[in-house]
Parts: sequence; C-alpha cells; structure tokens
Amino acid sequence: MIEAVDTRARGLRGRRNEAVEAASVVRRLDWILLAATGALVAYGLWAIAGITRHDVTGNANYYVVRQGVYASLGLLALVVAVFVDPEYYRRYRKQIYVGTLGLMVIVLLAGAVTRGSKRWLDLGFFKFQPSEFGKLLLVLFLAGMLADRAKRIGDSKTVLTAIGFAAGPIFLVFVQPDLGTAMVYTAALAGVLFLAGTRWTHLAILGGATLLAALLVLWILPAAGHPVLKSYQQQRVVGFMHRNDDPRGATYNVTQSINAVGAGGATGRGVKGATQTNLNFLPEHATDFVFASIAEQRGFVGVSILLLLYLLVIWRALKVMAGARDAFSAIAAGGIVVALLFQVFINVGMTVGIAPITGIPLPFVSVGGSAMIANLLAIGVLEAIYVRGTGRRRRY
Amino acid sequence: MASTGVRARRSRRPSTNGSGPRTFMPPTPGVAEPFRLTPQIALRIAILGGIAIAVFGVLFFRLWALQVLSGPQYLHAAVNNQLRSIPLEAPRGPVLDREGRTIVDNRAATAVELWTADLPKKWSARLKELQRLSKIINVPVAEMVGELKKRGGDPATPVIVQESVHREQAMYLQERARDFPGVDLASTYLRNYPYQSLAAQVLGNVGLIAPSQYQHLRSKGYRLSDKVGQGGIEARYDAYLRGKDGLAQLRVDALGRPRSGLITEQTAQPGEAVRLTLDMNLQRAAERGILAGIAAAHGSQCVGCWAADGGAIVALDPRDGSILALASNPTFKPSVFSSRDPKKLAPLLNSRVARKDNYPALDRAIAGVYPAGSTFKPVTALAALEERLVTPTEPIACTGVYHVYDKQGNVIPGGTFKNWDPFVSQQMTLPTALGASCDTYFYELGDRFYKLPAVRRHPFQEWAARFGFGHVTGVDLPGELPGLLPTPEWRKATYTRKTDATEWQVDRLWKPGDSIQLAIGQKDLLVTPLQMARFYALIANGGRLVQPHIAADVEEVSTRQAPGRVLHSFAPPPAPTVKLDPLYLDVVRQGLYQATHASYGTSTAVFGSFPIPIAGKTGTAEKSVSIPGFTGKMDQSEWCGYAPADAPTITVCALIENGGHGGTAAAPAALKVFEAYFKTHPTQVGVPTKSD
Repeated sequence: MIEAVDTRARGLRGRRNEAVEAASVVRRLDWILLAATGALVAYGLWAIAGITRHDVTGNANYYVVRQGVYASLGLLALVVAVFVDPEYYRRYRKQIYVGTLGLMVIVLLAGAVTRGSKRWLDLGFFKFQPSEFGKLLLVLFLAGMLADRAKRIGDSKTVLTAIGFAAGPIFLVFVQPDLGTAMVYTAALAGVLFLAGTRWTHLAILGGATLLAALLVLWILPAAGHPVLKSYQQQRVVGFMHRNDDPRGATYNVTQSINAVGAGGATGRGVKGATQTNLNFLPEHATDFVFASIAEQRGFVGVSILLLLYLLVIWRALKVMAGARDAFSAIAAGGIVVALLFQVFINVGMTVGIAPITGIPLPFVSVGGSAMIANLLAIGVLEAIYVRGTGRRRRY
Repeated sequence: MASTGVRARRSRRPSTNGSGPRTFMPPTPGVAEPFRLTPQIALRIAILGGIAIAVFGVLFFRLWALQVLSGPQYLHAAVNNQLRSIPLEAPRGPVLDREGRTIVDNRAATAVELWTADLPKKWSARLKELQRLSKIINVPVAEMVGELKKRGGDPATPVIVQESVHREQAMYLQERARDFPGVDLASTYLRNYPYQSLAAQVLGNVGLIAPSQYQHLRSKGYRLSDKVGQGGIEARYDAYLRGKDGLAQLRVDALGRPRSGLITEQTAQPGEAVRLTLDMNLQRAAERGILAGIAAAHGSQCVGCWAADGGAIVALDPRDGSILALASNPTFKPSVFSSRDPKKLAPLLNSRVARKDNYPALDRAIAGVYPAGSTFKPVTALAALEERLVTPTEPIACTGVYHVYDKQGNVIPGGTFKNWDPFVSQQMTLPTALGASCDTYFYELGDRFYKLPAVRRHPFQEWAARFGFGHVTGVDLPGELPGLLPTPEWRKATYTRKTDATEWQVDRLWKPGDSIQLAIGQKDLLVTPLQMARFYALIANGGRLVQPHIAADVEEVSTRQAPGRVLHSFAPPPAPTVKLDPLYLDVVRQGLYQATHASYGTSTAVFGSFPIPIAGKTGTAEKSVSIPGFTGKMDQSEWCGYAPADAPTITVCALIENGGHGGTAAAPAALKVFEAYFKTHPTQVGVPTKSD
C-alpha cells in the first residue's frame, strides 16, 4: 500500500524522486559493464603494484595505495553519476562548457609546471588535471548541442559550429602543451559528429582537411621554416615511423618499450625478472608506458586479458549507445566510447611502435588520479544513460 | 526539454516495472517523439563497433608478432641492455736497455674519473662541482668539460680527468664522496721512468688516443678511450707494448649506474717487453757529454759560444747499426705526461714556451738538421778519389784563401773562399788535409767536381746519396727528417720567380760556390747527427751502409722465476755495401787518425792521449740561427769518429748547437761517451786548440 501511495504521490507531484528509485536503478544497472570496469581497475592496480615495486625506496606500495584511493574516489564519482539524470548535462551544457574553458584558462595561468608543460592545478593534497575531465565534459557539451540541432545535422553550419566550440578546449590543451590530450579531444569531436549523423560528404571533407592539416603541421610548414610543433613533439609523432634513425635520442623510448614488450614473451618475465621496468630502461613505466611494463611482466597472456577487458567495456558501451533513451544520450555515449577506444589504441599502439608517442595515459591503469576519476565518472555517465535507456526493456 | 524526457520515461515505466500493458493509454500531447534507433545511427554504431574490432585486431596481431614470434630476440636485447662491457686495462709492457735494465715500466696510480650519468644534471651545479674538483686535482675546468664533451653521451665508460692523484688528494675525495657525485677513483697504471729524463725523446709517452689517431687506429681494434703510445718507442712498438685489454661485464640500470660487481669475462693480457739496443750507461754518458760540451763552450773564449744551449750525441755500433746512445738536449722528464702538470707540460706542448726553452721535445739526433761542416770532408774525399779527381798522394796547396778564376784569369764575383786558418801555406796530400782540416784543399776538390763535363752528371751528390745523405736512415723511431742534399736540379726547382722576383734566375743556377761549399759541408747541405754517425760507421766498417736501429727484440716480461723468453727478434736490417776501393777508404781512415793524433790534428788535444786509439773529424758549421737575443750565423760545433781506430766497435757523433769550433765543445762531449764505453780516460788532458 505504501508503495502504491508513494507512486501516486510522485505522479501527483509531477517530478522525479531519484532517492526512491535507488533500488530500481541498482537493479537496472549494466552489471557486465560495471564488472568489466571493476576488473580493469583491479587488474590495473595489481599490475601497478608489480611495476612500481622498486620505484619509491622504502615504500613498495606507494603508488598502488595512492591509486587505490583514487579508484575509490572514482567509484564514488561513478555512483553519483549513475543517479544524475543525463538530462541535466544537456540542460546545463553551456555552464559545463564555460566551466571547462575556465578551468583550462586557470591551468594556463596558475598551473604547476612539470617537465615543461602546464597541465596540473596543485591543490595541495591532489594534483588536479582538468584536461582529463575535459574529455568527458566536452563530449557532454557537444552531444547536447548536436542533439538539439538533430534536425539540422545535415547543415554544414551545424557541423562547423560544433567544430568551432570544440576548437576552444582543443587549443587550450594543445598550448599546455599536451598534444596527446588534444588529439583525444579531436577524436571525441570526430566521434560525436559521426554518431550525431553528420553527412558522409561532410565527414569526408573533414577527414581530408584533417589529413591536410596534419601534413601542414608535420611536413609542409616545418619545411617552409614555420614549425608548429615543438621539435620533441615532431620527433615523437614522426619518429615511430623510422625508429632506427637515432636510437639514443627521440626514439629511445619506443625502442626500449618494444624491447620490453617483446621480452615479455608469451607468459611474461614476472615482477622480479622484468629488467626493462625495474632498471628504468623503460621510461614512464607507471604512466604513459605502463602497457609495455605489463607486457614485460605478464606477457602476451596478461595483455590479452587486459585488451579483452577493454573490448568488453567498449562492447557494452556500444550497447548503451544503441539502447539510449534519446539522441543526446546516444551521442554522449558514443563520444565517450570513441575517446576511450582512441586512448587505448594510441597508448598501446605507441608502446608497440605503431602509433606516435604522445602522453596519453592508459585508461583505468596508468598511475594518475585525475584520469582514473574522470574515466570512472564517464563509466558512471554510461550507466546513467543505460538505466534510463530503452535497451533495458529488451533485455528483461 | 528535460521534462519531456522524464515524462517519456515515466510513460514507459509501468511496462518496465512489469505492471501490465499500457497500450490503452493515449499519447500525451506535446511530448516529443521518443528517441528511436534509426537505421542510419544503427549503421554508424555498427561501423564504430567494426572499427573497435579492427583496432583490437591490429593490437593483438602486433603483440602476437612482438611477444610470441619475436619474443626471444627481444629478450636477448633486453638482457644485453643491462650488461655493459668494461675494458680491463692491460699493464703496458716494459722497455729494457740492451743489458736488460728497465728504462720504462709501470707503477700503480689512482686516477680520478667522471661518470657522466652521475654528475649533476643541472649545468650550473655540474660546473660548480667541477670547479671544486679542479681546485683539488689541478686540472682546469675547461679541460674536464672538453673531455666530457669529446666523449658525448656515453654513460658506460668513465672519463679520466687526472691519472695520478697523490694519496692525500685521493683520501680527501674519498672522504667527501657525497659532495662529489659522479666523481670516482680508480686504480690505473702509469708509466714509470727509473732513469728520469734519460732518453726522454727516444721513449715518447703514453696518452689518450687523439681523434686524428683514432681514425687510423680504429680498424686495428683501438677504442676511443684507449691510451696509446705517443711518439718514440711507445708509439713505434705500441702493438707489442700495449698488451690486450681484458673484458669485464657490469650490470647497470638505465642511467648506467652499476648494479653489480665486475664480472671478469676475459683477463687482461699484459704487454710484452721491448728490449732496446741502447746502453743506459752510455746514454747517461752521452747526455752528460752534451752538458759537458755546452759547459766547455761557455768556458771558452770563442765568439758566440755564450749561446751554446743544446746538442745531440749519437753512438752506433758500426758493425750492425744498433744504436748505443741517442741523446738530445735540452731534455725533459717523461713523467710530466703522467702528472699532467700544465706548467711542466707547457714546454712540450705549447710552441711559444717550447721556443723559449729551445724545444726540449725535439729529438735533435734524428730530427735536428744542421750543416755538416768539416765532418763532411771525408765524403768529399771519398767521392773525389772514386771519381779519380784526385789521388791519395797528389799534393794540393793549402793556403789562407781560395780563388775561383774565370777563363780570362780574373777572380769571378763571389769567387773568394777563406780557409779557417788564414796563415797556412803548404802543400798537402789527402790524409794531411783531412787531419789539418784544410778548407782550400777541399775547395779545390769541389771546384774539380764543378768543372766536370755535363755527361758526368753530379757524381759528388751521387756519392753523398750512396752514403745515406738526403734521405732518412729508416731508423725505427717516428719523426726522422731526411735533411737536404743540394743538387743543381734541386736549386732549379726551389728558386722560382716567387722566391726572389729579381734574382731568381741567378739563384736557380748551380754556381762554382755551390760545389766548393758543399765540399766542406756548408751552404745548403743539411744533415742529421744520425746520418753523420751512419756515414762514419760506413768508414769504420769498411763500406757497409748499416741501418741504424734501436729495438733489439720483443720478450716476455721476465719474472723472478723465469727470465723473459724472446718472442720476436729484430734482426739487424741488411746493410748494403757501397763499392769503395779499400785503398781509398784506408787513406780517409788515415786522415781521420791524424786528425786526432798528429801534431796538426784538429782534436789531438782531446783524444791524443786516450789509451784506445780514436779516429775522428771535427766540424765547425756555420748555420743561420734565430735565438732569443741573436739572429745571424753561429758556429755549430761537431765531431764524428770511431774507436778503436783499427777495428772500430763504436761510432760517435756529437753536436753542440752554437758551440763554436768542433774541438772546443763537440769533441770533449764525444770523449765522455768513449770514456764510458771503454771505461778509461785520457792520460793527459790537453787544452783544446782553436781548430776547425
């Protein structure tokens, strides 16, 4: 009876009461996506524990403990995100956009300089990297914008407007400088446009323009004496294509990374035997090159498990998209999936020498609080879309 | 817009709640069409899924290729990554004299080395550390930075900046190791010279391979961090002396920091001993002889003798050409190359300081070129005899002046040549002319050579060339100079419009004066003391042109238990015989004996009373010199000879720069060598006379 009263009361009031729905939300969650994400995080923590064992003298668990704390915070963010109706993101997308831009400007003005780039806001207890959250926020904003103009999606004006809005954050990240994240933003933009239903001709033109821009930036302008990228960026981006030119210089990282991956063999060298990681031949082995370390310690079997987990997450995310309640949710989910896929591919590809070297962390695994929390938050958004989506119906 | 979504959801909720079908409910007006998966979006999601599959497919394929197919190869690379090969320095072989006395060996020393990887990364901090280090080990910062730069980014091999620190310096650094990251002490071998400065120029030194040398030597297995013989014996016989470096392996991390002790893979093979033909006692006598000669010059009243400041002595065994002593003065202590004291090294490396100190690094015995002066007269005599321009018994007037006349009987311009003794007027035969060193006698011979018809070509120079002048002797020491044997062709080629715009056509002619002055070893002729010694050895041994050599053999390093086994013996190089009439040779020998024993002999005062008969010739060669405080012609004091006169076993040539007359400085210097060789002294000490 109480239930009936309650239902009626809500209906009478004409507004949602999330707290009351908690139980049903939990029941409707995509447990496979959650389990896959949880497995990824757990696998990541386990891998980090082995990789960073020798990094901080006297405290073998330094990184894994910190990373665990971040994962817990991320879990909290995920839970909160599940209960927030994605509709709010759409409604407040302008605030989201302005807030994102504002944070990035603050980073440029007051950010802590680490290894030559300003990416972090030092909050004392935590080094906050807004660009990691920007991936999600940009996707939400663009999805909202494109969903509102769904009818005019065929107009080139709509496409150009989306690009114009995305250009702001991309530029601000690029000048940090953080080429990798700028590339992720661009990929997310492309994904969002693609899934929003942009015309194929427009997509083709954009693809051609991107290719031309890449040629300009990497080849034509430097040749004409106007380099756009810093020389280390240029070398990293192009260096993976001809690796043997300069084994001590720009391509040192890739060479050592490939050595580490290859040395792992089928079953890995174990934590103790992984000399590439333990003796620091592999640079950044807890962050950008974490995949190479896992490959060295755990072998082909270990990385296969990891990649299959990613594939599982991406498959479930595609399901979320397909069962989304509205255009906004679908596009947002699509943007999240594309960004995730892009990050995994570029990061893993970089460690095995088939993608340029850019500082993109491996989602859910690389040591880093902002990325971990932002990625879990993104999963939370996916879940929020899922529980409110139509896909549920077909499953039960 | 949010509300529409919410409402749309609410309308569906009953069905998801399973509370029955809601089909009878009418659609709410104004509610947006619920989102439907259009075929277009579905296609795009499918494409995205396909891309995801493709991406993962590529990654799996690549990982399979790397890890499973090429895994072992990369494992090998990863294992090698952490192993650094460190060469183990082989102790260099000793250098021995002919009696087996050690001239050069090794001593253990402490070297200061820099490990690039451990030095402060910040340039300013690194510079500060090097400045502090510089004060302790006396090595300029610029030099250390230069060495670091030269080696580039190689973190695996240290850069040695100072090879011999004192115990106190080493202790200081050891105690403050924390303040000097990247600075390490290592034991090394340094060359040790028990005879101090003796034979310094002959021995050479050992130093880091120079980039220019590395280009030649890299194909022979030398490394950029190797030490290699620089000059002298050390360079010439480096292949034997250097031994073979061993190899150790070291586990290192990415920064090149050692993570394990040295694991010896291959032990170092010490270098072999090189035995020289030098006799260190004789060498000492020779070097002291030069000093005695210089002192004698300073003590005499002769013009310009104040400037006597250097010299050379060569002692040869005329029978096989082995070098018994090879002295050059001024000299230095080779050990300064180990201590790297910039002040002491300056005279050897800095050309300006070297000039001030009269070039101590120059080995005057093989690379100092001088006019031969009267010591060249036996060449003239033998050539003239062999060419039948004179007979041993033909008397020729020895006068104060010699004139060259033209066909009309007038003295040609520049045709007047003075004898060193203006008061003599006497007929002389060849031995007497040699003994008294009569210039006009030899002027006449020179003139006879000049007047030979063109078909006879230049027999004088041909004989001189046969006696070894004008080209290197081929001694087994680097840096030998050939000197200069002037010929008409040489004059023609040397003097062109460029050398003298107005007189060049006169300059390029071979004139009577050229032959006449060559006859007494003057004008353009340049010889090294070693060439002279070789020629006097030819007189002494009956006409064989021996090749001077200094290395006797290569041996195993002897230990207390076992003497060194000879591994490779350097046989005396073949000595071609110059076809000479024994009678003529005998005449010249007679003349050389008279020069040291006759009343009119030019060095009788020095050698006349020596118990063993010595034969030899003085020389006073005018040379244009430019020394601090004087520029002009200076007399170079020379003496060459051999003993015992009847069956010579030693040939000595002495030269004192700016030492005045031959009998004044060079002859007493040479006497010191004979005294040491025969272990005896002259019974009477004569006063050197003014002589040529």
